[in-house]
Parts: sequence; structure tokens; C-alpha cells
Amino acid sequence: MAVARGAQAGAEPVSRAVRARQVRRREEELLVWPDLVFVEFISAVLFTLTLTLLAIVINAPLQDRANPAHTPNPSKAPWYFLNLQELLLHMHPALAGVVVPTVALVALAAIPYFDTDTDRQGEWLSTPRAWPNLIVGSVVGVVGTALLIGWDSQRHVLAYERWVGSWPESLEWLRSARALQGEIAAWLPASLSSIPLGEKVLRTDLLGLPAVDLNVNLPAVLIEQMLPTGLMVGLPVLLSLVAWRSGLAYTRRDHMILQFSGFIAVFIALTVSGTALRGEGMEIFWPWEVRPAES
Amino acid sequence: MASTESPVRRGIGDRLYEFTVQNRVWRSIFRSGYPNTPRNQMLAIATNVFLHLHPTRIHRTHVKITHTFCLGGLSFFLFLGLTVTGVLLMFYYVPSVERAYEDMLALETDVRFGLLMRNLHRWMAHGMVLTVLLHMMRVFYTGAYKPPREFNWVVGVVLLVLTLLLSFTGYLLPWDELAFWAITVGTDMVGSAPILGQPNRFVLIGGYDVGANALIRFYTLHVIGLPLLAAIFMAVHFWRIRRDGGLARPL
Ligand code: HEM
Repeated sequence: MAVARGAQAGAEPVSRAVRARQVRRREEELLVWPDLVFVEFISAVLFTLTLTLLAIVINAPLQDRANPAHTPNPSKAPWYFLNLQELLLHMHPALAGVVVPTVALVALAAIPYFDTDTDRQGEWLSTPRAWPNLIVGSVVGVVGTALLIGWDSQRHVLAYERWVGSWPESLEWLRSARALQGEIAAWLPASLSSIPLGEKVLRTDLLGLPAVDLNVNLPAVLIEQMLPTGLMVGLPVLLSLVAWRSGLAYTRRDHMILQFSGFIAVFIALTVSGTALRGEGMEIFWPWEVRPAES
Repeated sequence: MASTESPVRRGIGDRLYEFTVQNRVWRSIFRSGYPNTPRNQMLAIATNVFLHLHPTRIHRTHVKITHTFCLGGLSFFLFLGLTVTGVLLMFYYVPSVERAYEDMLALETDVRFGLLMRNLHRWMAHGMVLTVLLHMMRVFYTGAYKPPREFNWVVGVVLLVLTLLLSFTGYLLPWDELAFWAITVGTDMVGSAPILGQPNRFVLIGGYDVGANALIRFYTLHVIGLPLLAAIFMAVHFWRIRRDGGLARPL
């Protein structure tokens, strides 16, 4: 069946990868027993020992019995989701909790379908310009994330008020994302802060479905959805553009390394911020000021 | 066989060795001779179902620790260790709101090595999330996802998601403050999705709040559903590494 279809359409019955397997040269190969099995065995032993020691020395946390009536402050997700919880502080929950992780995972899975050039595969960072791209991507990722978080938590305002004086009235919109939203709301006609889409346009009740309670608040949409989406799409694109024009990133692999390193750096920066810098009320603190939630 | 011919004098060790391996019982279990000749070394890999995950020969650059840092292998090792300690924990743990927390306390105080098993399970779980993330980075920076390995990278992304879900579902089980609120915060994120968020959250935790239904759902997913899926995808992952001609190397 498969063969018949392939023959009829003139298509390749098997992919290129299966037809042309890489040649193996015997003289460059080692026997798995003992050369690989030995390494595996040793690392398994070392890991078992280290983990057992760790488990003897440090106990897994066990707090008081769960009490739904009492919310600890702050309540945090496991550390590997704290990057998302950090995002949650700056944008619409649907964006931070669902859209961003979904898009990130799909983009991650799609990497090999965009970067298909097999040149220098299987060696650590051996393409030309690999290291510069890794470094630039990581630095931009960390610094960019720190600046954005700092801005949205009004760190610049605090610094200004400490060294200069009170934050100027005319720059109120530069205080934080929330302040910007307030300024936009004050500036736009009030009717745009509550557009009754559900009542006027999406009349699902006419179709016999439950009525949609959709009230669009334009300033909120702008700040909670448009602004972060614009930044999360725009800044990486800008980075690639600059890297391309300046000759830093030339091939697709260059851009992949640049973007992937940036992504990992942002991931780490967000995780660290959510884990170590967020204290009571998910406010930002220095790590040594962060106290565990009291219960 | 071939090279076990004794040299000049046979000591007690040699005779003990021959007594152990040259009898019908031993021969019925291990069919190849002692792996001290290339032929027997290859047979040792090829005739053993577990070792057979490996090829019999491997490119010399791939044996260097700095090529893989053993990260994929360590992820798998941690998965196995988590299975062993997890099964032991299951003997003592009942996933009900009344008993879960008490069982954790009893495990730590009344069960011999209970605390050690729990600690091991916990640190291995965190460790596995780390090694899987690092493994992904090593695969990326060695450019090992390029054709023909595209699909195995996708399988890897699925494994990453499964690893996170395994850890997340396990997080609720101790039923302490940490567990309860972490899962509440986590599932609230799911619930914030437009349109499908709330229905999905409802299915996930079996109600509007994290409670008895959520506990039994997370438990079932944690001890059977997700490990089974992960094992299946790992089988595919390893199979594909072999099919794709071993690890990537320059053309
Ligand atoms: C539970 C999780 C995982 C396990 C147990 C696992 C296991 C392994 C093992 C044992 C190898 C052999 C080489 C090595 O140790 O590096 C390998 C290779 C590979 N893994 Fe994974 N892996 C996991 C997750 C992932 C993830 C998250 C990705 C990528 C997103 C991935 C992509 C790959 C690829 C493309 C290869 C082939 C590398 C090459 O040809 O050099 N794996 N994996």
C-alpha cells in the first residue's frame, strides 16, 4: 500500500535519512563493553552515592497539614513553574499561564525543522560565530529581563527618589505597566474602558447558548496583552535583526543559537526572580530579605 | 572460552572462577564467555536485553564524558531510581485527604529508612528536571537535533513535558501547606486560559477547588499514567537514537 502510493506519486518511499545512513568507520569505533558501559557504571555509582548523601543530610520539606482556609503569603508553585508565575505578575494570566508556555514548547519542538543545515553537527559549538552568539544572546536575555522586571516593580522610581527627589508628575506613565495603564485610561474616553462586546456583538444567547459576559477594557487589553506580546515578539526579532545587520548572526544556526541562548537566559532569570527575589505579596526583595511564607 | 586457557599454574582463584562459570546453570543464564575478547565483548552487549539498548560499537568521540556529560543517561538513571523509591513509598501512602498527611508523618518517624526513601525520591525528582533541561541544552549546543534527528528532538520535548508533569503531580501528594498551595497556584494558571481554561481545570482537579478528587487524580497520574507514557516515549527515544545511526557526529 505504502509502496504503491509512493510509486504512483513518484514520491520517495523512504526519507533521505533512511536511504543514506552515515558511513561508519570501524577503525574510529570503540567497543561499548568495556569503554561505554564502564563510564555509565561509574557515573551511576557516583550519582547514587551523591544522592544518598544528599538525602541523609537534607530532609525533604514537610510543612503543616494542608489548610484550604489559610493562604500562606506568598504562595508559590514548584520552582520550575516560578518563571511562569513571575510572568503572571506582569501580564494577563491567560497570556502568562497558557499562551506563552504553549508557544514556547511548540517553538522549541519546531527548532529542527527550521535549522536543517547538518554542517558541523555533533560537536560542541563548533560552527563559526557560535560562541559570540551564545554570549550575546545570554547577556541580552538576562539584562533585558532584569530591566523589564525592574521597571515594572518601580525600581527606577525608588532609585530616583532616593538620589534625586520625588518622581516627576509628567513622567507618571513611566512608573510601571500599571501606572501606564492608569494614564491611558484617564486619557481615553471612559466608554473605551468598558466595551460591552458580550451584550452587543457576541449574542450567544440568541443561539440558545449561555450568554457571554465579555466586557472589553481597552487600556487593560493594551497593557496586559498587547504590550507584553509586543515585547516578547518584538525584542527577539529586533535582536536577530541587529545581529544580522552587524554580522554577528549570519546562518540559521547562528540565529538559532542566539535565540535559544536568549530563551534559556530569560527562563533562568525569570525562575531566579520568581524563586529568590519574590517575598511577601510577591513583592520584589533582595534575596537575603526574602523570608519563607509564615504559616 | 577462547582465552580462559590457563597460563602456567592455576591458582585457587582460577579454579573457583571455572567452577562458577563453567557449569550448566551459569551457561544457561549467560550465553557468551567472559568479555575479555572483542567477540565476547560484543556478545555481552548483544545478548543482554538491558545492555542491548546500546549498539555494540560506538564512535570514539562519543565515549568522551564531555561530549554528553552523561546527561541523557543520568535522566534515565534518575527515572529508574524514582521508580524504585516510588514503589517503596507506595507501600505506606494512601491518597486520601484523611490519611495522606498522617502517612507522610508516619513514613518519616515510624518506617525504617522511610525518611531516607522520601528524601531520595524528592531530590531525584528535582534532579531529573535539572538533568533533562541540561540534556536538552547539550543536544542543542552540539547541534544534534538536525536531520535525521528532528523527530527525536520532538520526542525529547514530549519527555520534557512529561517530566515536568510527573514532578508537578507528585508535588501535591504530601498534602501539606506547600503541596496544597503550589498546586492551587499551578492549576489556577491552567484555569486562566480563555474559554477552555475553566473546563480543563475542572477535569484536572475534579472540582472547583483542590480537594479529595484532585488528590486521587494526581496520584493516579503520578504513579501509573505518566510513568507509563514516559516509559513509552523513552523507548521510542532510545530506539530512534539507534535508528538514526547513533549519536550525531560531523559528516
Ligand atoms: C526523560 C527525559 C530524557 C531521557 C531519559 C533522555 C535520554 C537520552 C539518552 C540516554 C540519549 C543518549 C545520549 C546522551 O546521553 O546524551 C539521548 C539523546 C538525545 N536526546 Fe534525549 N532524553 C530525554 C529528554 C530529551 C529532551 C528534553 C530532548 C530535547 C528537547 C532530547 C533530545 C535528544 C536528542 C536529539 C538525542 C540525540 C543526541 C545525539 O545524537 O547526539 N532528549 N537522550
